[in-house]
Amino acid sequence: MTDSTDAPAGGPFALFQDLDRLLRGRYTSEEALRDGRIEFPARRLIFLCIGLGAFYGALMGLYSVTTREEGEGWMQVFASAVKVPLLFLLTLIVTCPSLYVVSALARSRLKASATLRLLLAAIAVDLALLASLGPVTGFFTLSTDSYPFMKLLNVLFFGAAGIVGVGFLQRALRTILEPEVVHVPEPQSVLSAEGDDESESESERIQFRQAARMTRDTEASMRRVFRVWIVIFGVVGAQMGWILRPFIGSPGEAFSWFRDRESNILVAIFKAIGDLAQ
Amino acid sequence: MLAHTDEILRSSERHAVGTTVTPWRAIGVCLVFSGALYGAVLGSWSTRWEQMLFSAIKVPILLTFTGVVCLPSFYVGNTVLGLRDDFVRACRGLLAAQATLAIALASLSPVTAFLYASKVSYAGATLTNGVMFLGALLASQVTLARHYRPLIARNPKHKVTLVAWMLLFQFVAIQLAWTLRPFIGSPGMVTEFLRPESFTNAYVDAVEAMLMEF
Repeated sequence: MTDSTDAPAGGPFALFQDLDRLLRGRYTSEEALRDGRIEFPARRLIFLCIGLGAFYGALMGLYSVTTREEGEGWMQVFASAVKVPLLFLLTLIVTCPSLYVVSALARSRLKASATLRLLLAAIAVDLALLASLGPVTGFFTLSTDSYPFMKLLNVLFFGAAGIVGVGFLQRALRTILEPEVVHVPEPQSVLSAEGDDESESESERIQFRQAARMTRDTEASMRRVFRVWIVIFGVVGAQMGWILRPFIGSPGEAFSWFRDRESNILVAIFKAIGDLAQ
Repeated sequence: MLAHTDEILRSSERHAVGTTVTPWRAIGVCLVFSGALYGAVLGSWSTRWEQMLFSAIKVPILLTFTGVVCLPSFYVGNTVLGLRDDFVRACRGLLAAQATLAIALASLSPVTAFLYASKVSYAGATLTNGVMFLGALLASQVTLARHYRPLIARNPKHKVTLVAWMLLFQFVAIQLAWTLRPFIGSPGMVTEFLRPESFTNAYVDAVEAMLMEF
């Protein structure tokens, strides 16, 4: 780690420098989070999210090139490269207002714009891991003919990347809600039970109890916000993915940008597990 | 090269844990040559020189390509967990472990050749190579543990990246080995670099085979 990496980004690698700083946690330092600030070049990060998503999407769609007529296969590559970034960004747009409301109700210090930036940062981390798993997806795409396997592999990778994104979000939220805690040292005079300190120890004891209660309340509040965020984001994201399918391209079907709205993603996953051995 | 081989196995001198300069080229050469040597012996069961040549090419590919495919996610995983400062050291450990695996395989090649000379069946040859790869894998874990011990002592999160690496690496390596087969050369089949049905899925085929058994 060198100081040079903290310098403002510039040149052709600016996007990757931004990503690198984000992954290293430079944009979400404890000091900035405690002030409710999340400062990074949001526009560049959106471009980066699009690039990373398109890269992984293209590798997902590559399966169609090996199983369909040439023109249709490449159309699927293009469609998936468009749809993967869209999946994440549309989920962000749809969920951001409700996530902000939940966060504000829990008295977090995040303003609306900071909430949006935090979620964008989590998505960028998620997509970075997904793109880094791209070579593995590409390798399996080119070396396997099993459509159910490819579906499950992608579910697995999306899940793994999601867990890393969630971890990033959880760490940030913990810090954001931390400053509300007042740290009061445990009253030594109470423990030693000295007679002269009786009135002073009583006030220290009250302060200590209040601080302990605030800590518990803050932790509970953090857990609540986090759970609600995960549920909202997870449900909307999964359904968005289902609406935007196909991403891989079923070998027996002609290319189409979207499929008919039927069933849901959980049913599809269980069906893929069942189809694996057929 | 022999001096480097010895130092890799002992994790000493130029290949000592915590050195600042990594002899990448020497490690690469050890990996490719040792892999090729074992590959040639692996393919000798068929007594066809083409199979020996193909296997000598394919074993180093198997040992290197898997790492290349898995490296980007290892990099991102290390960065996200705040372990980027140790990334070069972690890579050095992984590479040294992979080189140890290749060297151990090469050292086991006389044993494999001896068993082949004892007229083992095709199934016996497959089992022999399975055992050899397992033995070499265990040997590589010794080098990996040496390199990772100080990293884990400094930050226990290294355990997470190490376990993730091992799982992903094995997952990809199994499929790559399946794609690159044949290595031994099945009797009654023509010698070819890849089988026509190479581009199928190892895991799906394994599940299908198990279901057919029951």
